Amino acid sequence: MPAIETRDLQRVFSGDVVAVAGVNLRIERGEIYAFLGPNGAGKTTMVRMLTTLLRPTGGSASVAGHDVVAEAGEVRRAIGVALQEAALDPLMTGRELILLQATLHGLPGAEGRARAERLLARVGLTNAADRRVGTYSGGMRRRLDLASALVHEPHILFLDEPTTGLDPVSRKAIWEEVEKMNREGTTVFLTTQYLEEADNLADRVGIIDDGRIVAEGTPESLKAEIGRPHLEVVLGDGAMERAQEILGRFGKPLPAKDGAALVELEGGASGVAPVVRALDEAGLVVESLELVQPSLDDVFVAKTGYHLEGSGDETAVPEASSN
Amino acid sequence: MTLAADLATIRALMRRALNEILRVPGAAIPGVLAPTIFFLGLTAVFGNLTLLPGFTTESYQSFLIPVSLMQGAGFTGAATGVNLARDIEQGWFDRLVASPAPRPVLLAGLVASASFRSLIPAAMLLIVGFSLGAHWPGPGGLAIALLITMGMAIVAAAWGTTIALKFKTQSASPLMQAGMLLLILTTTAYAPLELLTGWLQEVARYNPVTQIVDAARQGFVGSVTWGETWPGLLALAGLAALLLALALRGMRRIAD
Amino acid sequence: MTGGFVTNARVVAALGRRATRQTFRRPQLMAPILIFPTLLLAIQVGGAGRAVDLPQFPEVNGFLDFMIAGAMVQATMLAGNSGGIALALDIEMGFTDRLLAAPISRFAIVLGRLVGTAALGAVTAIWFLAIALIFGAHIEGGVGGALLIVLLVTLCAIAFGSIGAAIALRSGSASVVQGLFPLVFVILFLSTAFFPGNLLLEPARSVAEWNPLSFIVDGVRDLVISTFSGTQFAEGIAALALLGAAGLGMSAAAMRGRVRRGG
Repeated sequence: MPAIETRDLQRVFSGDVVAVAGVNLRIERGEIYAFLGPNGAGKTTMVRMLTTLLRPTGGSASVAGHDVVAEAGEVRRAIGVALQEAALDPLMTGRELILLQATLHGLPGAEGRARAERLLARVGLTNAADRRVGTYSGGMRRRLDLASALVHEPHILFLDEPTTGLDPVSRKAIWEEVEKMNREGTTVFLTTQYLEEADNLADRVGIIDDGRIVAEGTPESLKAEIGRPHLEVVLGDGAMERAQEILGRFGKPLPAKDGAALVELEGGASGVAPVVRALDEAGLVVESLELVQPSLDDVFVAKTGYHLEGSGDETAVPEASSN
Repeated sequence: MTLAADLATIRALMRRALNEILRVPGAAIPGVLAPTIFFLGLTAVFGNLTLLPGFTTESYQSFLIPVSLMQGAGFTGAATGVNLARDIEQGWFDRLVASPAPRPVLLAGLVASASFRSLIPAAMLLIVGFSLGAHWPGPGGLAIALLITMGMAIVAAAWGTTIALKFKTQSASPLMQAGMLLLILTTTAYAPLELLTGWLQEVARYNPVTQIVDAARQGFVGSVTWGETWPGLLALAGLAALLLALALRGMRRIAD
Repeated sequence: MTGGFVTNARVVAALGRRATRQTFRRPQLMAPILIFPTLLLAIQVGGAGRAVDLPQFPEVNGFLDFMIAGAMVQATMLAGNSGGIALALDIEMGFTDRLLAAPISRFAIVLGRLVGTAALGAVTAIWFLAIALIFGAHIEGGVGGALLIVLLVTLCAIAFGSIGAAIALRSGSASVVQGLFPLVFVILFLSTAFFPGNLLLEPARSVAEWNPLSFIVDGVRDLVISTFSGTQFAEGIAALALLGAAGLGMSAAAMRGRVRRGG
């Protein structure tokens, strides 16, 4: 029985805003599955439907074998949830929060308290446990949220953008915790806008854009689909258009990124030398040139026509895929 | 969920509501002072209505105090609604709703604290009222008045909760307060039924809250009888049942 | 005055238009200012209406005739409060800084806001006059009296608006202005807004005797329940002038303080 399954899941808001437009998912037990997409793609809406906080307007979904609408109570018993807004009360202490979560899940007093202590220790918050949450840093709040999501030892964990806004050290700490939970057998469904997060953590990735899944698979298989490396060229005197025209002769041009012109190279590394010669003959000053192996961003661009991260100037490139 | 688990949840939610007062005491002051201030103002302005023939007492303080008690309950309940709206806006409410705690248990946890909190403005009101000459209602009269106060606080909290769940924003708070005020004032709040005029007399005649006001008022203006009490308690129970049902419906629909 | 008369007049007009638009484009904000005093009026008339039978009660056509002035003044106090909140929000969002950095008179900022409040005051007067006529009150002062009522109530809104503006400028916080809103009721209780002075109980009775609000309400009320009395009218205007002067004075001081502190 899959951990999470959806059939043509849909959510339309008033004013005909289609947030999720028919999504089919099948996530097996023990997987880490990441939904990757920009803001507004429908990630949070998906999570809210799967965690019974929002009713689907079409299609169906089941979590842990229970329908999210008809058997919402059973779903809630089986899942742990850590949402984007880190639903914490600034006036409560960390310990009070975990204890409240334990109470909400019906854990009897002594056992709830024992688990709370174990979890606080696990995420390194024992010392801060009696301080009010309002005094916690962003990283501490996320760790507390994560710990409280685990208090009833759920089989399936939902994390909505778990590391958005965190510094790199805190981010790594969260990743390590998620991997540890997964090794212990928990299925993890997470949403993210960070390529690195999806790449490093997830067994499988679903790329979501505009309410639809545009690509799905393991990070490796997705990247292999795209296959080819691309060249990133930063020019000295900003002669972008001329450079793009030249590059276009050697392979498929890609949308510009952070002031660099990009081109996909058919022949791989052997195609670099002719490009350099051509740019040199045209008298263009090259500041840097890098051969980049495919990444999830490339997959994203191939499927949606724009970068997920770091698209500085949106210089339009002819022949770029545009849906 | 087991009964023990449900009760533990209700206790935990009540504790959280109480924490608000203890941790941010300034926020509670307006709700505690306002009923007393209105009581002082109204008795000073309309006090001489007791000169009218047919008025059931010569002390307007005694006449008005149950109304002010209920107003205090109304403010307390509205505060519950405002706090819930804030919790919804800030995402805290998601935590409660995503948990397996049954919806009626969550609702009970939210409104139960209001009934106890309403005793704070009530205490202040009674102290001020008695010192201004309101009649001592006797233990029976006082018990009924306080019971009704706590019951109205639940009614008001249920109403506030319904509004909060519907509009999901703190700026709906005037609606929460106005609703309760209207309910309480379209009764024999200002004068006995026979001395009300025009449309208000008709409305008060059929408004169930009039029974509640009269029941709470008994001891202060005369003797306490079962005949005066049961209609008020029945009306209160009915009103509470209706508004709690409305709030529960709102809670079940919050995922729509 | 910085900027010259014509420029400032234009600025006041522009800010006034903005303030008026803000008020009337959001009926959900305007409604409580009118609806709430109207409901209270209805309840008080129904609840205390028999007071007209008391021997000490002044000669009136009906209790509504007596009460309508108080409701009008209450609404203008709420309008002044609401104008203060709007100004405080402007300060909070930095809009006022933009105006302070311009070569215009400081006063133009306050006056512009007051134009909006004055418009609301006029609407209030017309609303309650309509209510009065629909529900059977008589305006003894006739058409002339009605016009004078509109004038008085508009001036009233300006006076309370200036107090609201002073609080906004002093505190810079909308929630502080909002928090003072209950004070409206307290002050009204201590005046002749809701009951005749000779029938009030202490301490309201004594306070009402010198409370400027009593004079203002009595000034408006006189036009409703009897023919024009120069004295009552003059006393009302004087009380309004007093409040307005106080409000504008406090606004000026608060503005200076704000500019000196750097906002």
